[in-house]
Amino acid sequence: MTTSVPPLQVIQLAKRYRAHWGGEETQALSGISFEIATGECFGLLGPNGAGKSTAIQCISGFYPATSGEVFVEGYNVHLHPKQARQVLGVCNQEETLDSDFKVYDQLVRHASYFRIPTFLAKQRAHDLLERFGLSDKAKEPVESLSGGMKRRLQVARSLISNPRVLVLDEPTTGLDPDVRRMLWEALAEARKKGTAILLCTHYMEEAERLCDRVAILSEGKILDVDSPENLVARHIARGEVEEEVRPGVVWKRRPNLEDVYLKLTGSRLGVEGL
Amino acid sequence: MKIPDSLWSIWCVWLRYFAAFIKSLPYYLGTTFLEPIFYLLSFGVGVGALVGGITTQGVHLSYRSFIFSGIIAQTVLFQGFYEGAFGAFVRMYYQKIFQAIAITPVTLSEVLWGELLWDSTKATVAAEVVALIGVATKDFPAQCLLWLLPVCFLSSVLFSAMGLAAAGFAAASMNFPIPNTCWYSQCFFFAAFSTQLRVCPPLCKKSPGFFRLLPSTPLCGP
Repeated sequence: MTTSVPPLQVIQLAKRYRAHWGGEETQALSGISFEIATGECFGLLGPNGAGKSTAIQCISGFYPATSGEVFVEGYNVHLHPKQARQVLGVCNQEETLDSDFKVYDQLVRHASYFRIPTFLAKQRAHDLLERFGLSDKAKEPVESLSGGMKRRLQVARSLISNPRVLVLDEPTTGLDPDVRRMLWEALAEARKKGTAILLCTHYMEEAERLCDRVAILSEGKILDVDSPENLVARHIARGEVEEEVRPGVVWKRRPNLEDVYLKLTGSRLGVEGL
Repeated sequence: MKIPDSLWSIWCVWLRYFAAFIKSLPYYLGTTFLEPIFYLLSFGVGVGALVGGITTQGVHLSYRSFIFSGIIAQTVLFQGFYEGAFGAFVRMYYQKIFQAIAITPVTLSEVLWGELLWDSTKATVAAEVVALIGVATKDFPAQCLLWLLPVCFLSSVLFSAMGLAAAGFAAASMNFPIPNTCWYSQCFFFAAFSTQLRVCPPLCKKSPGFFRLLPSTPLCGP
């Protein structure tokens, strides 16, 4: 594999499905394309139902794509799932922790699916629990963890294989600010090692802070892709926006990614001057 | 020698189930021992007192010994189908274990193979445990314990596969009763025909080919 191959390439990815038998067919994704470079953090922003989670399920190879291709380190995720997933770490939006195992055992067990030798898996599990502040919970069952701890554990689990591509679906939803910062630091560390990150998030501040580039997704289509600064410059003409934060109270502030998001997805929610 | 990737993956899934199972082993063994004892008490001792002995294919047996092969076969059916249907449904739909594993190099089909083999293993072990009770009560010959292994395992694979199909159907339609009523219940209720097909209506004579418990029952017998 040459170094010129981008860690993640998504080419005209489309997904159409029925939620249940007899249900209406939904076009969740309509040919989205993007690629992520080594060490880059790429954000996928969009309202609920925009197709972000479906995109992640297709990229991880869990859902078969209706059309289009996904390459991880040059391997087609649907034709060569084992090779592609060997270098892929995924943290789903839903809680998928294995409740039959305790916190530490869970990480070691997950490592076995990557054929990581047990001694190495144990070492990594130790390090990750330490890094995510869960060392004192190592022998606890998953059910005893708080929502934030479960989220941390799930992100830690996605890092157990030292992935070269990390896919995170709303990893910081419902987390305290300090825990969120801890996760951001962990992601920054992973980037320094060259890990490419695909981040789906609702938090604009998070996307602006972490992502080198951002794609705004709506109704299964990418509306625009660029760095947060370029997106703001391109879509928000004015140097200042006004926002009524409470009845009769109007704030003036510099435009940000949230304004771009609201403008492109067609939701203004009281923000003037876009 | 390196184990092929798929076999390794299936083995990992099987090991995951085994490791989870070990934790509930005392509870599992308790229920596995108790259920056939209840059957023996109700059908064997209870109904057996009314029926007395039975002569089938030229061999005279106590009613208890006669129904013991059925108890073994229904253990395979219950354990295989329930683990494949309800157990897999909970793991797939609520615990999201399939989803958690199938984003690793282990593919979804390997997860399902691992699940199927584990369900079959568990059902086979349960049947052997029940057979041991039969050996203890002198209702099942000890020399048949080994022969029982492949019979029970192959039957378990079939019942577990049907259970997994039912779980898949239930996940898509949120309906368990249909596969239960259409297949599983028929297997259980009509197993009694297995040795008496000659007295059955023509349609029933053809049914054992579909309801696989029926052919399994005499195979489990002494």
